[in-house]
Amino acid sequence: MKNIPAIFTGLLAASVLMAASVAVAEDEIFIGGALSLTGVQAPLDEPGLKGAEVAVKYLNDRGGILGKQVKFENIDGKSDPVTVGNNAVDLIDRGAQLIVAPCDFDFGGPAGREAQKSGLVGISTCASDPLYSSWSLGDKQFTLSMWNTTMGAAAAEYAFNERGWKTAYVVTDQFIAYTKSLSKYFVEHFEAIGGTVLADDAYTQGDQDFSAQLARLRGLESQPDVIFISSYMPDLATIIRSIREVGITSPIMGGDSYDDPGLWEALGETFGSDVYFITHTWMGSEAHPEMDQFIAAYQEFYGSAPDTSFVATGWDTIMLMAQAVEIAGTTDGEAVAAALEGNEFSLLTGTLSYSSAEEGHAPDKSAVLVGLSEGKPSFMGWRRPENPPAP
Amino acid sequence: MDVGTILQFTLDVLNLGSLYALMALGLVVIYGILKLVNFAYGELVMVAGYTLYLLNGSPLPWLIMALVAVCMAVIGGITTDLVAFRPVRANSLTAMLITSFAFSTLLQNAALLFISPRARNVPLPEIFTQSVTMLGVIIPVRNLITIASAFILLGAFTLVMKRTVLGMALRAAASNFTMARMVGIPANFIITVAFAISGLFAGVVAMLWLGRIGAVVPGIGLEPLLVAFIACVIGGMRSLVGAVVGGYLLALIDVSFNYALPPDLLSFRDAFTFTMVIVILLLRPSGLIKGPDTGKRT
Repeated sequence: MKNIPAIFTGLLAASVLMAASVAVAEDEIFIGGALSLTGVQAPLDEPGLKGAEVAVKYLNDRGGILGKQVKFENIDGKSDPVTVGNNAVDLIDRGAQLIVAPCDFDFGGPAGREAQKSGLVGISTCASDPLYSSWSLGDKQFTLSMWNTTMGAAAAEYAFNERGWKTAYVVTDQFIAYTKSLSKYFVEHFEAIGGTVLADDAYTQGDQDFSAQLARLRGLESQPDVIFISSYMPDLATIIRSIREVGITSPIMGGDSYDDPGLWEALGETFGSDVYFITHTWMGSEAHPEMDQFIAAYQEFYGSAPDTSFVATGWDTIMLMAQAVEIAGTTDGEAVAAALEGNEFSLLTGTLSYSSAEEGHAPDKSAVLVGLSEGKPSFMGWRRPENPPAP
Repeated sequence: MDVGTILQFTLDVLNLGSLYALMALGLVVIYGILKLVNFAYGELVMVAGYTLYLLNGSPLPWLIMALVAVCMAVIGGITTDLVAFRPVRANSLTAMLITSFAFSTLLQNAALLFISPRARNVPLPEIFTQSVTMLGVIIPVRNLITIASAFILLGAFTLVMKRTVLGMALRAAASNFTMARMVGIPANFIITVAFAISGLFAGVVAMLWLGRIGAVVPGIGLEPLLVAFIACVIGGMRSLVGAVVGGYLLALIDVSFNYALPPDLLSFRDAFTFTMVIVILLLRPSGLIKGPDTGKRT
């Protein structure tokens, strides 16, 4: 039974392949996307796609890339790695020259692998696990996001160096690679620069019950200076609320999963104070001089302002592709990859340069620090940790 | 262990167990009559959640908003019956199973498309953010409200089932549907009522469940559905009391493991929980409370 869809896909691919040479016009650059609009991955991919579409229009209004118009097409990856891979194959067969991969190693990896097989450059919008590297996917694959090594280290340095918080209590959601590796690198770096981790507790996404962990936290001999929580919505709101509900006011820190107005509102005025997180960017001109321009373009395109800063990752992915193709003068995978490796890019989500393919295409990227006060976020500047831990 | 810890532990179990019991009861009410697990049950929690989100910012007091949201869950329950079950009820159980999945997917995707895949904030009353101190233990008032509302609802439900004509009709339909119809109990009506009750439980659960999070996402109903299903299986699919016992027992297992396991093993807590479930089922294959030997429910 399982082979039937595969055979169909094969037939479809073959027929499309024959038509491929006609499908892509000479004066066009075709970027394919396999971002997920349904399923668990949708909250991260949907904003990325929206940002990417604005970027494509913006580029086309200004003459496109290398004087050619940009054609962008996304096929819903449905939060299923196999579907994501098949979509990438489909797009490549129809002539896609660059691939936008979903925002996660598990879901984005298959698209990256297919791009690699066809010698194309693929960029994930925000996969931050160091697994998303040229080591595992190939020498033409990149992620726009900083790695969790940077995210964890930036949080640790802010806590220890800037605020003098010496002891930490860590909560790690055990559900996905992202949450586990973020905690791991925070702990590693926090201890390396001299901090002490009092306890590293586990939580399972979906439990909606933090009572036992809370009992352990309150049972500690001395209360921690900072609580680092690596989880994501919706349970993240439950965890923070549970901690604040019982009167624990210690500062709370985390990563880009906190960058969600849904969380800030869920915490509200009562519980949304003294929360700090490391994320990709900030929706204001303080973060980047061109941010207002992007927000205006976005507003014009969709008729409303972006509801999360993750839209910037989609915009940046397309803009990064455009800049690299302009430098390379072609969409040829090898040349574009070389352009990405050999240059530094100024993006809405920070200054970015990549290490060589042998070194994993590790992104050297700055991160934004945001603080919450009474449920309102504020920009606290860019951070670039000196020696993030090795993956 | 000091008194404070014991109190804390007991309240944690009761709090979670109350939610689980209500969820399980909502599922088993329908299972009793149709012999069908309603997989669209979790989406009723979602419907109530998004109703609350859409009412956010309206001048209504929270209690009225919550009441409207619970009503929407009830309407959602009735709609499930009318749209997904009644048209195919004459066919087969499999057909109903498929339509319940389809209805669940439809509702979830509607939320994805028309609202957003990202979390949306729901309004909460002031009292949900307050806490009281008992024996040196700080307890969120919401937990006490959860326990109290579960007890009240379970008590009222028991009264209805035991003392009213409607309750007797529901029980009769559950124990022998054909016979119940022969003595004049209207089949369609009684099934719709069962769905409405199921929606009521889902709605109340939604208010208390979302009260912990403060936000709603399209997949919010998955966990309640799973929990309800496991609790029913442990307690006995053919017994209403079983569902409640199953709910509290599952909470006891979960919370105990959460307290007792060291952090390294805590990552595998679900494996421990399900091992316990398997052990229970090996010892009592039809659940803790078996139901009558006729194969029908009491």
